[in-house]
Amino acid sequence: MGTLRLFPLELRRLLRSRLTWLVLLLTVLSPAAGLALYTPTDATTMLSMYLANPALAGGVIGGILFGLLTVFELDRAVRSRVDMLIDAAVSPLTAALVRLLSLLTAAVLTLGLTMLVWYPVSRRLIGTVFEGGDYVLSYLLLMGLALPMAILAAASAYQITRRSDLSLVLFAAFAALSLTVWADDWQLCWLNPCVWALSDDFTNFRLFRTVAYMRLGWLAALSGVWTVSYLCVRRYGKGLPGSLARNVRRVYRPAIALLLLASSVTAYAAQPFYDNSNMDLSAMELYELSYAEGVTYLDRTIQVAPDTDAGTVSGRAIYRFRNTSGQSWTAYFGLNPGYDLAAAVNGTSVSAVPTGYEESNMALWAVAVPAGEEAELVLEYGGFPKDWNIASSTIQGKPEISGTYLCLENQNLAPYLLNVLPGEEGYPATVEITLPAHMVVIPFGSSEAEVIAEHADGTKTWRYTHNRTGGILYAGDYVREDVEAGGMTIEFYYGRKHQTVMEAAGAVEAVKAVVDYCTEHYGKLSFGAGDTLKLVQSRVSGGGYAAEGASLLDEADFTAANLSDTSKGAGAGEVMIHELVHQWWGLGNMFDAPEEDSPWSSEGLTVYTSYRIAKELYGEDYAQANYVDQWRQEVDDYYLNFYVRHPEVLERLPEEEQLAIANSLLYVRQYSEMPLKILKAEELVGGEAAMDEILCALFNREIDPAYPYLTYQDFLEACHLTEEDLNLD
Amino acid sequence: MTKIFCYECRRLVWNKFFFGLLLVLLFYGWQVLTGVTLLGVSHTAPFSPWSFGDYLSRMVPLLWIGALFFLTFFTSGKARRAAVLTDAAPMPPRRYAMARCAAALAGTALLALACLAEAAVFYGRYFGWYGWGELLLPAVVALVPPLVFALGSGALLGRLRPWLVYVWMIAPLVLLALPLPEALSLWNGSFFTRYPLTLGTLDPAFVLSAAVAAAQCALLAAGLALLAFAPGRRG
Repeated sequence: MGTLRLFPLELRRLLRSRLTWLVLLLTVLSPAAGLALYTPTDATTMLSMYLANPALAGGVIGGILFGLLTVFELDRAVRSRVDMLIDAAVSPLTAALVRLLSLLTAAVLTLGLTMLVWYPVSRRLIGTVFEGGDYVLSYLLLMGLALPMAILAAASAYQITRRSDLSLVLFAAFAALSLTVWADDWQLCWLNPCVWALSDDFTNFRLFRTVAYMRLGWLAALSGVWTVSYLCVRRYGKGLPGSLARNVRRVYRPAIALLLLASSVTAYAAQPFYDNSNMDLSAMELYELSYAEGVTYLDRTIQVAPDTDAGTVSGRAIYRFRNTSGQSWTAYFGLNPGYDLAAAVNGTSVSAVPTGYEESNMALWAVAVPAGEEAELVLEYGGFPKDWNIASSTIQGKPEISGTYLCLENQNLAPYLLNVLPGEEGYPATVEITLPAHMVVIPFGSSEAEVIAEHADGTKTWRYTHNRTGGILYAGDYVREDVEAGGMTIEFYYGRKHQTVMEAAGAVEAVKAVVDYCTEHYGKLSFGAGDTLKLVQSRVSGGGYAAEGASLLDEADFTAANLSDTSKGAGAGEVMIHELVHQWWGLGNMFDAPEEDSPWSSEGLTVYTSYRIAKELYGEDYAQANYVDQWRQEVDDYYLNFYVRHPEVLERLPEEEQLAIANSLLYVRQYSEMPLKILKAEELVGGEAAMDEILCALFNREIDPAYPYLTYQDFLEACHLTEEDLNLD
Repeated sequence: MTKIFCYECRRLVWNKFFFGLLLVLLFYGWQVLTGVTLLGVSHTAPFSPWSFGDYLSRMVPLLWIGALFFLTFFTSGKARRAAVLTDAAPMPPRRYAMARCAAALAGTALLALACLAEAAVFYGRYFGWYGWGELLLPAVVALVPPLVFALGSGALLGRLRPWLVYVWMIAPLVLLALPLPEALSLWNGSFFTRYPLTLGTLDPAFVLSAAVAAAQCALLAAGLALLAFAPGRRG
């Protein structure tokens, strides 16, 4: 009762303070810092630049300000030497609770005011891709929850230490940790959540869920710490131990603290967003499993039904095998680590056991299959997909599943068979997926999906077939445009919200230019399923990939912000160029798995060709600055790196540290050193025209079916050079 | 004088603020060592003077704040009220203030030593490396001038207005955000990451450019002058 009576009085007192209004005003203005000074996101999407950055800046600055205000307010009575009087009039415990509630209310008021003030500004800056839902979620999660967390942290520090100086140091260190050494750990950066990009064209629910989970986990932890500090509130002139002994007499108080702390620890340990994949990126244990003897794959049918509201997937995969060994055997499957699995063979349940090993975002499951010539293995699977742990600090939010976008890759789509050889027909597969009617299904490859059923609940079932072990599927609110280039038809899919930008950026012309360049210089592509190539715009992902008959285009390739960057012509399209070029180098010409000590892979020729296209499209200066100079810088940094020069020191470090350092250096040789070597080869063979002839001959060479790969030796022989000739200075 | 110094030292060090600050420093320091220093800076070893200097530069803001908090023991309202009594003691107020500043300096030095000891543990445990002699110069250059200046300037500001000491605490954080010229680059730590790259050799020995050395000497001289001047005013 006392709390309810005192709360309006305390809130009124707080709101009469000039310092409170100063903090409120500065917090309302703080998102402005995110437009220029504090820009933690990496991508150039409009929502990243004009929504995520301001909201994150508001959270950091507002959080720090409210933390300072909290210490100042809690110390007010002691500073004014009226604490004895106040303690005599009001229970110190009640006063602590009332002060906390008042500060939290002030934070809520501040957030509401900030959202009102910044709504029209954000709307104008973001333009046509602005959406109210993104705005509200960004300000609530990226900014809003930082304020109560800072208040709880600062109040806890003060109530435990009862010293303003020590409280300020504790709070400063806690904030500094989040802003520096914890900044890349998505679960620890309580003040500045890890947000690398927000998508303009598709939804951002996965990223928002991740941030909300982190925030709520910390809120529980800080509430727990605050409750502990509440037990430390000094009473009857006693010190900390005496007051604590007095305050814990009501058992529910420590019980609440324990419950909150335990739930936050549990939430930390059992987080459902990132897996525990082997941190050694060169590990290939899943692909080195022995094949089951005498067992061949016949076919599989996959029926999958994503829940676009909950962001989950459920499905059923029916595999058929022929077993001539006469013995029982174990089928190994790679499955997204967030999914669960149940199995039945010929109608009888069999054990499906997770082995506990995770690699490349796949959990290894073992399914015991009894003896019998024909086996029909039914796998029921589903759950909330986990993202690869290496993405937690760099590209969060990838496994987005919503009513406007989803991407299910290999083990996220269905259990991925790891240890059975194909029969005569390869790996035939039929995929059926049920989705809201407005979503277009795009198999990533040469297959075409067709609608086979329309349901009364507003969903449609699509079906397509392919012949691979895995399979990637995109679906969303897409627009399709057919482009004729290089003697083939390109099915160009992009998000409906992006249509205006794509047209203004001349994306179709850029695609045509790349395909025409490669066709003219190296030769025409050919696909088994006809002369079509899909080009699919993905949600902002910081990169892409290509498969036979399909390439990816990153949303960030063509953004409204890029339109005003005159150095790149109408649009950048770097990822699109790279992934389209992979149709020639990587798919049109196969490359063997890269050797650990060699820079040769499909990336070298692809990056080199991308540089040549950028040179033609955007000019020599642009290509020099954005390709050649960057390769040189990265290669120089690589060879100068202390651990590269002294691998014996690296070996002495704990394994976790070794892997983290080795992973950070992994791609430099393939993506930067090899293109530099090819550039040097270009000079040695007589220039660009001569190199184009050599590459054209390599692209159109006669393939040896026993070893169809294009090797470094093939390249060197075609150039009449030796490995030593291409050593870099 | 010695008795007062010892008394003030005990007052500063034997209290929960010091131990709380020490814990915070050690925790933060370990996070920096394992998260940043481990990678080495500017292509040098994690145990190079440059990487070590970078670690110390990252610790300076917290040490600065700690040093200024020590001063608040003497400049706060409470201390001022008690000054009526201490001023009546048979000791020149200037000497009394000097003893207090020396105690604050000793407390700050203890915190800095804790940071150094922590780095020693880190280097020993991760790399089995114990060549401490070459790290002495970067430690002196990175820590002594700013911390002496923090105490001198803080003492002066505390005499003028006690709340100015709190405002002064954010100075190193502001410096971190500013693009300082090369001569002042030790003030935000960028010297340790940028300068070795300009030396044109691998794993360069630790050297200071003349401009940086002059700036650090000036900072130290200013700090010492302020320490000598600030306590004397009231007396």
